[in-house]
Amino acid sequence: MVTRRISLTFGAALVVAAFTGLPAGASAQETLKIGAMVTLSGPGAAWGLAMKNGAQIAADEVNAKGGLEVAGKKYKVEIIAYDDKYQANEAVTVTNRLVHEDKVKYMIGPLGSAPAVAVLPITEKNKVITIMMAFTPKALGPDKPHSFRVCITTAEVSQPQIDWIVKSRNLKKVGGLFPNDESGQVIAKDLQKAYQHAGADLVAVELFERDRVDFVPLLTRMFAKGIDAIELDGNSPSTAGLIVKQARELGFTGTIARTGGPATADIVNVAGKEATEGMLVHTPLNPGLPSTKAYMDRYQATYKSPMNGFSPSFYDGANMLFEAMRRAGTVSDTDKVSHELENLKDFSGALGTLNWTGKQSYGIDHQLNIPFYVAEVVDGAEVIRATCSVDKCE
Amino acid sequence: MLIAQATVNGLVVGLLYLFMAVGFTLVFGVMRMVNFAHGEFYMLGAFSAYVLTTGLHLPFLVSVVLTLVAAIVVGGLLEYLILKPLRKDELNGMIVTIGLAMVLQNGALLVFGPDPLSMPAVITGTTRIGSIVIPNSRVYVVVFAVIILALLYVFLRYSRSGRALRAVVESFQIASIQGIPARVFYPLGFGLGVGLAAVAGALMAPLFVVSAFNGTTPLLKAFIVVILGGLGSIPGAVVAGLALGLIESYAGLFFKSSTADMIIFLVVIVMLVLMPRGLLGKGDV
Repeated sequence: MVTRRISLTFGAALVVAAFTGLPAGASAQETLKIGAMVTLSGPGAAWGLAMKNGAQIAADEVNAKGGLEVAGKKYKVEIIAYDDKYQANEAVTVTNRLVHEDKVKYMIGPLGSAPAVAVLPITEKNKVITIMMAFTPKALGPDKPHSFRVCITTAEVSQPQIDWIVKSRNLKKVGGLFPNDESGQVIAKDLQKAYQHAGADLVAVELFERDRVDFVPLLTRMFAKGIDAIELDGNSPSTAGLIVKQARELGFTGTIARTGGPATADIVNVAGKEATEGMLVHTPLNPGLPSTKAYMDRYQATYKSPMNGFSPSFYDGANMLFEAMRRAGTVSDTDKVSHELENLKDFSGALGTLNWTGKQSYGIDHQLNIPFYVAEVVDGAEVIRATCSVDKCE
Repeated sequence: MLIAQATVNGLVVGLLYLFMAVGFTLVFGVMRMVNFAHGEFYMLGAFSAYVLTTGLHLPFLVSVVLTLVAAIVVGGLLEYLILKPLRKDELNGMIVTIGLAMVLQNGALLVFGPDPLSMPAVITGTTRIGSIVIPNSRVYVVVFAVIILALLYVFLRYSRSGRALRAVVESFQIASIQGIPARVFYPLGFGLGVGLAAVAGALMAPLFVVSAFNGTTPLLKAFIVVILGGLGSIPGAVVAGLALGLIESYAGLFFKSSTADMIIFLVVIVMLVLMPRGLLGKGDV
């Protein structure tokens, strides 16, 4: 009863504070809400969970230290997660809920490109800072000062990796399978150019609906064109796993490459170790880096499941956001926070030393510049074969 | 040669659709009710096969049979416990199945988590006939599917209960007049219907992934097949199931897959305009 009365009083104080704009009593710890507008069901759930869990680990860490200290006040960080089902309409609904009902000022997500195109006008209008994955070039721009992307996208990584793969495996004809939506179509177009530039040809492109599970007809058609490699960038982990499994079942012995979208653990889970042997994958992670290894171990210990490769980006993204709030000395003025966020230099994160880039491609430095790697899958685990920068792999 | 390959692929997928649709139409025929939870039994069947083979290390065939038996029992119980009060109230019964679908899907999500699981292939390698390549795992599945279908055929055609069940599907009133008891055949029809969905799930588990969200697409396909074949018509579901698998496969061979998906729905629309009762449907809906 006593605790209930206290929490009621506390709640009332918060409500009063919210209405009058006055800070609540100094002794009470305030809550800083951060939305996670990601995909938690369907084939994209592996990514959505990776994003949410990354931010959650960052939040747990600052909470364990007594909260996030901004301008002398400590805030308990709370992550509020909603499922956008990888659909633009659902994303708009839950974003409105986060912005107008939960009154969040910061959001992890959106994850997909179509949801991003749909919700960024809402978040920008309400000055909500977004820490995104969305691969579409439309997600970043000078007209979107509150939108930041913490994953490196196909546009950044494909060329150097494809140059390296085409050369080292001597590829001529490549077939690509992509989901038939904004993400998939953008990726297909980018890769077509990249393979041509590297001296190979993307001779067969198949676009399919995201809920498809049987790829045998599409693969049969591709094999008839005599391809010597399959490109799987942009597919959800479970879809990519199914394609690998079915391609090997059909007796395909060529190279299978995935030059974007780290998901090796999930793909091996679905396709099995035998089918994935020798597959070439893009990975943003180097477990040889102590900070990365430490994060992977913490993730494994907390969630008891293999970590998706995108997760550290959102752990780092959340930590950068916290640092920007500390420097700005405010949690409510997001103009100030985003100004501090974009001015963070040489931030030391789980992925290494991080800086912003993107002015050339997008007109604004809101793309996180992180190192990446080409790995070969050996016995279900990644073995790094080349270290890449935006210019080249070696 | 590609056409032969596509035919084989189409028949494999067609068998999956056939199982789903026969079960679906059986439930509709007996209960005059669309079972929206049908896809979730497919999903549960896949999980059942996964747990039995990877957890308890039972042979695949035993797992499939156990799954079928368990699904018939669970389905019958669900009908008896949940749907019984709604037997004369099909609309509310349908809404209950929507709720049941949500409960089952989210229950699976709670127990097994959102990450898709992979069941190891029952058998590896490929069979080559000329230039046609068939993965052995699919041959295996086809053989099992045909055996189970043959058993179902014998049951429905020759056994007393099977004939009674078909009589109920044909006309409930006339079957009742002949003394066929509804209290037995409602649970049996429902159980057998969802049992077939569960078997389809168990058979397809080693080919595809096992996940809580598996049931949606097969349910949609079952709808299409049943509409093509005629609601409540078992032979219609068989013919239309195989036909849909083949159409999809050929369309996927000759057109881009996004175009192929559209063609399926065009076929359904044309069918509905020309033959609103479906290929072999005769009753009114």
